[in-house]
Amino acid sequence: MVRALALASSLAGAACACTRLSNRVVDPAHPYFEPPAHDTPRSDDALLSVLWIGHATVLVQMGDKWILTDPFLVDTMGEIQRRVSPPGLEAACLPEKIDAVLVSHLHPDHLSYASLDLIEHKVKRLFVPRGGLAYVPDLAFDARELPAWTSFEEGGLRVTAVPVQHVGGRYGIDAAWMTHSFTGYVVEYRGLSVFFGGDTAYDAPDFRRARERFPHLDLALLPIAPIRPRDHMRTLHMDPDEALDALGVLGARTMVPIHFDTLVAGKDSPGEARETLRARARDRGVADHVDVLRIGERRVIVPM
Amino acid sequence: MFGAWLKVFAAALTIALTDGAVASAQSDAEQEESASDPAVRSALLWSLAQIVPSPEVAYGEATARFGLRWQVTPLLYSFGIYRQAWRWRAFVVEPFVRQSGSVELFLGPEYLVQGRGLADGWLWRIGARSYFPIIERGESLSVSVGTSYSELAGHRGVAYEAGVYTLFGLVGAQITWSPTGGEATTIATLRLRYF
Repeated sequence: MVRALALASSLAGAACACTRLSNRVVDPAHPYFEPPAHDTPRSDDALLSVLWIGHATVLVQMGDKWILTDPFLVDTMGEIQRRVSPPGLEAACLPEKIDAVLVSHLHPDHLSYASLDLIEHKVKRLFVPRGGLAYVPDLAFDARELPAWTSFEEGGLRVTAVPVQHVGGRYGIDAAWMTHSFTGYVVEYRGLSVFFGGDTAYDAPDFRRARERFPHLDLALLPIAPIRPRDHMRTLHMDPDEALDALGVLGARTMVPIHFDTLVAGKDSPGEARETLRARARDRGVADHVDVLRIGERRVIVPM
Repeated sequence: MFGAWLKVFAAALTIALTDGAVASAQSDAEQEESASDPAVRSALLWSLAQIVPSPEVAYGEATARFGLRWQVTPLLYSFGIYRQAWRWRAFVVEPFVRQSGSVELFLGPEYLVQGRGLADGWLWRIGARSYFPIIERGESLSVSVGTSYSELAGHRGVAYEAGVYTLFGLVGAQITWSPTGGEATTIATLRLRYF
């Protein structure tokens, strides 16, 4: 009831924006996204596996370690926008111990307070970009800022923040002074390495530097949407073509696309990002290196 | 008295437009922002946001008057943000830092429309208020209680208030009640606040 009241108030307060959004929410029968999978986390068959929960939320298994990216595990973003596809895994089904949560930036679809509340007692440590600690609630887990090119290592698991291109802050005008509060990460464990791009525009120099420092990436989690209007999105978000360019620059063996088919954003047609990526990957002859998952689908990247 | 209040308010704004915003930006992240980082620009944006008034209706002795309210926060302590983050803020306060649980000092003018002279419509208020998060760490729903001391056309008194807020604290409703009566016994405010 309280949530309903809050939602109603929010909708009233942002009538124009939310009317536009609600008009664009896709009928569940429409093939906006492929049917979700219902895979469960497991670690007995893989050295490296991923389970795409939706948006930028990926459960990464590296040996006996679990890493969760940008946890967005609830139905609404800040009670102002409902996701068009439910999370591919409920918070209760996540592993009991998540070694690292990586938060790429502070926008509500990437730093979701309701989601953090759900996983508070499973999380060992949460990483945020520079300036991000002020926006982290006082929960039980350890939290720390990781400025670009700094690392944190524990138990053989090393997390390094790598620069990407996006926008800082959470509320608009705070972007003016939170000019560094967005990042990507590289996670290394037992000779495996994973690049998490978070939400980034295409920035070849940043990706090139990442490759110089991490020349043997096994996996790159790269955003591919929103695509349009391109003039506006180009400075904030990669499109499928740019994501493939980034894959080439990073030199990762496998790319798993993220940040699509979850929230209505931009002017993309239903399924556009996914289908465009598949087509472009075929055209470029790199389809074998691009693994487009369904929400809730798990994939073994490096088998046991 | 009016002049004294005006000086306090002007001084507060001056601090906010210079040191306050910069200090907040720096403590915000313990960062080493480069010299080119736009601290001044952030202060200007912040000050523009503060110009937006909150409309209100004041009920007094057989009257109801429309009014506008502005306010600034000279000091705030947040008990909702991460324990190792800097919990104090001066003037520039991020919505999460405020709505996730905090205690703030506030001050500011209100203008109640009336038929008398211009100066007689100004109500000056200073007070303390505490916010408590309800949903999504207060960003979706939070409440507040507070108390204040005010002056309107020579009539001084205390007031008590309660509020409820949503949409990252951007929109809220506040009720202020003064047991000492006067021309603004009860004030209903549509609180609009961005930072």
